[in-house]
Amino acid sequence: MRFNILFGGKAGQGPNILTYTLARALVRKGYYVFYSRDYQSVIRGGHNFNVLTFSNEPVFSNDSIYNIIVALDDKSVEIHKSQLNKNGVVIDGQFEQGNMFFAGRIFKVLGIDLKYLDEELKKIGKRYEENIKAAEKGYNSEKEKFEVDDLDNKENRIFRNGNIGVSEGAINSGLDLYYAYPMTPATPVMGELAGKQKENNFSVIELENEIAVANAGVGSAITGAKVMVGTSGGGFDLMGETLSLTGIAGVPLVFYLAQRQGPGTGVATYQSQADLNIARHTGHGEFPRVVLAPGDPLEAEELTSQAFYFSQKFGIPSIIVGDKHLGESYYTIDGRAEITKSGKWTDFSRFNSYEKNKWGSATENPEIVKRNIDARMKIKENVMSEAMKFEQYKVYGKEDSDNVIIGWGSTKGAILDCIESEGLDAKFVQILYIEPFTNKEIWKELIGKNLILIENNATGLLGDVIKEKTGFNIHDKNKILRYDARPFLRDELLKEIKKRLKK
Amino acid sequence: MKDKIIDKVKKVKSKVFNKKTEVRTPSKITWCPGCFNNQILAGVEKYLKKQIESSENAAKKKDEFALVTGIGCHGKMFDYLNLNGLNTLHGRVLPTMLGIKIGNPNLNVIGFAGDGDAYAEGVSHLVHAARYNADLNYFVHNNQVFALTVGQPTPTTEIGFKDKTNPFGVKVPPLNPMKFMLANGATFVARVFADSKQISWVMKEAIKHKGFSFIEVLQPCIVFHPHKGYKEQTYMLQGKKNKKSKGKSEKHDKTSFKQAWKKAEEFDYNPVTKKTKIPLGIFYQVSKETFEEQIPAVLALKKQGKSWKDIER
Repeated sequence: MRFNILFGGKAGQGPNILTYTLARALVRKGYYVFYSRDYQSVIRGGHNFNVLTFSNEPVFSNDSIYNIIVALDDKSVEIHKSQLNKNGVVIDGQFEQGNMFFAGRIFKVLGIDLKYLDEELKKIGKRYEENIKAAEKGYNSEKEKFEVDDLDNKENRIFRNGNIGVSEGAINSGLDLYYAYPMTPATPVMGELAGKQKENNFSVIELENEIAVANAGVGSAITGAKVMVGTSGGGFDLMGETLSLTGIAGVPLVFYLAQRQGPGTGVATYQSQADLNIARHTGHGEFPRVVLAPGDPLEAEELTSQAFYFSQKFGIPSIIVGDKHLGESYYTIDGRAEITKSGKWTDFSRFNSYEKNKWGSATENPEIVKRNIDARMKIKENVMSEAMKFEQYKVYGKEDSDNVIIGWGSTKGAILDCIESEGLDAKFVQILYIEPFTNKEIWKELIGKNLILIENNATGLLGDVIKEKTGFNIHDKNKILRYDARPFLRDELLKEIKKRLKK
Repeated sequence: MKDKIIDKVKKVKSKVFNKKTEVRTPSKITWCPGCFNNQILAGVEKYLKKQIESSENAAKKKDEFALVTGIGCHGKMFDYLNLNGLNTLHGRVLPTMLGIKIGNPNLNVIGFAGDGDAYAEGVSHLVHAARYNADLNYFVHNNQVFALTVGQPTPTTEIGFKDKTNPFGVKVPPLNPMKFMLANGATFVARVFADSKQISWVMKEAIKHKGFSFIEVLQPCIVFHPHKGYKEQTYMLQGKKNKKSKGKSEKHDKTSFKQAWKKAEEFDYNPVTKKTKIPLGIFYQVSKETFEEQIPAVLALKKQGKSWKDIER
């Protein structure tokens, strides 16, 4: 059972809090909820919408057809009515009553007791009296059209988005300092951390630009602090020179790169996976680095702690590659994150952007230069063997299938939903460690199989990594690439996968 | 053979070098003979030695200082001064210093930058450093030329300066760093000449000052920029006499923005003639809350004498 609800409205009408409130109530009733956000670069007006999908079984993606449309304006009906299924319900009209009136309406339509909404509104606290009054009015104005019963709730379940995952990962790794300059879609991590800095005794500092952010990050990291910086593609480009500096100077700095659609300013508030190569290659010269790609909020937390571990252990930069869809979509996941603990293993001493001699001063001596580079290459090797202790990729679906789907990052959700929902004859290999890359292990998973690549970009960047590292060439017709700045939807993706399965 | 001998000499030298307490590394000076950077180094060394050697625990005292330099001739300061820190990227001295200060607010953070670092590549950071007022000590070696890349004009090069890359001569007026810093709200704005005495004096004053100390050091390049007769046109504010300067010392109220601005306007960084008057000394000094004091957790570290590294989680 999958049930899809679209919430549409103008920016400023409050479709987000409406979606969140219903999602929270459904999770408490024992359902798995996934919702994504589609919003324009507009503060007031425009058209924003969220799609909430829930089920009694795990669900990590949306569909293109909706059971209910909750429209806070006429435009939302106009744009989306063609996507309503034949027994679908539209909740619209009386727009002037506000979003909490609509909250009451959708709760009633779904047959959810008002007490669930009341508790959520109490949690929000702000303007409770006003909100519950409007909600009650909305609740009483509708008739029950569906029955959403209580399920046996599983205790060990989390409900959060990827940005909270990254933030929790950083906090649980012992974060001391987070530096950032606002850039969508990385900014929510800054907000999330800023809200938690006091209780956890760390600091969030905004500086004048990404160059200052990265270099202040370096300055703090060499004093022995645990530091993370966060940005999106354009900001990461600006940090490129500093990333190279961390490579030569041996600075344990963690970067969070939240991808959005480029190049340039691109489609600033929308989804993309096109920045894998800047994570892998930005920065002149040769130096060790770690590039990790979480596919859900739980992995975001775990991999962030691993990023800190590698940075601290080896004095190297680590990059967590997330994206808009992962960062801002809410997931319901069973289990708790396994945090990899790390110490503060850097001592303040003499660091240098030049090759340095034994007392830390610049040198041009060819023997020392070579010795320093050899030392860095040795670290690269050590990082590779240390990474063997971690889960560098995951395998889902039919282990012995001839069809192997390969993906990374937030496409995981839609791919998992496809193979789980219809029991497809396919195995899904999700790559978590982009750098270092376990050539041999992954080679074993791929050899002799019908390889299908699924990515949110136009060129199949992970496919290039697979080719470079394992030698396997994925045929162009087997690449399912979406690059209209939108995430994959389960039903659409399922059709594309089925076309490419070998029987 | 020759290389081996040099290696041996180095080895002997490095044996006697006490990494923990010595101010000067064994690195050989590679500035041009007669370069004014030697004067700056001598002044800094003098100040540091006095601080460190007079201390009961010299190693501990030395570790209370942090050093950041940029890229250019001035950057070699890092090679010669045995302090913890980072010889960072071109233009990024200030954010690196800020990061170190926030990482450990108990350090005395000293930075050296060239005019290329400070006024070209990294000028955006300078605007904000003045606004933030973190407790940093920032020295700009201003030789009014890109010397290490053999002689191109910088933002403080005078009108009319010619070189291979600018055969028609510089047409745009130079930036006046003093006015620039005053306008952006710096709480300590000083200018000295590259003279060891002036350097050690201003360094003491800057480190005493709680907040962002901006020190412009006139350090004429002896190879790529006219330098003769430069020092002779300088004079000291605040009654501090400079023996070599022609003019007499002048009374100056350093808490007066108006007076500071007037003094800043006196020299516009265009060609120096016998009529040019170049005031030196502390132009402006006021007290304001520092950047790190405004961050509760960093302020707490400062009060406890701790760094983030000391915080166990």
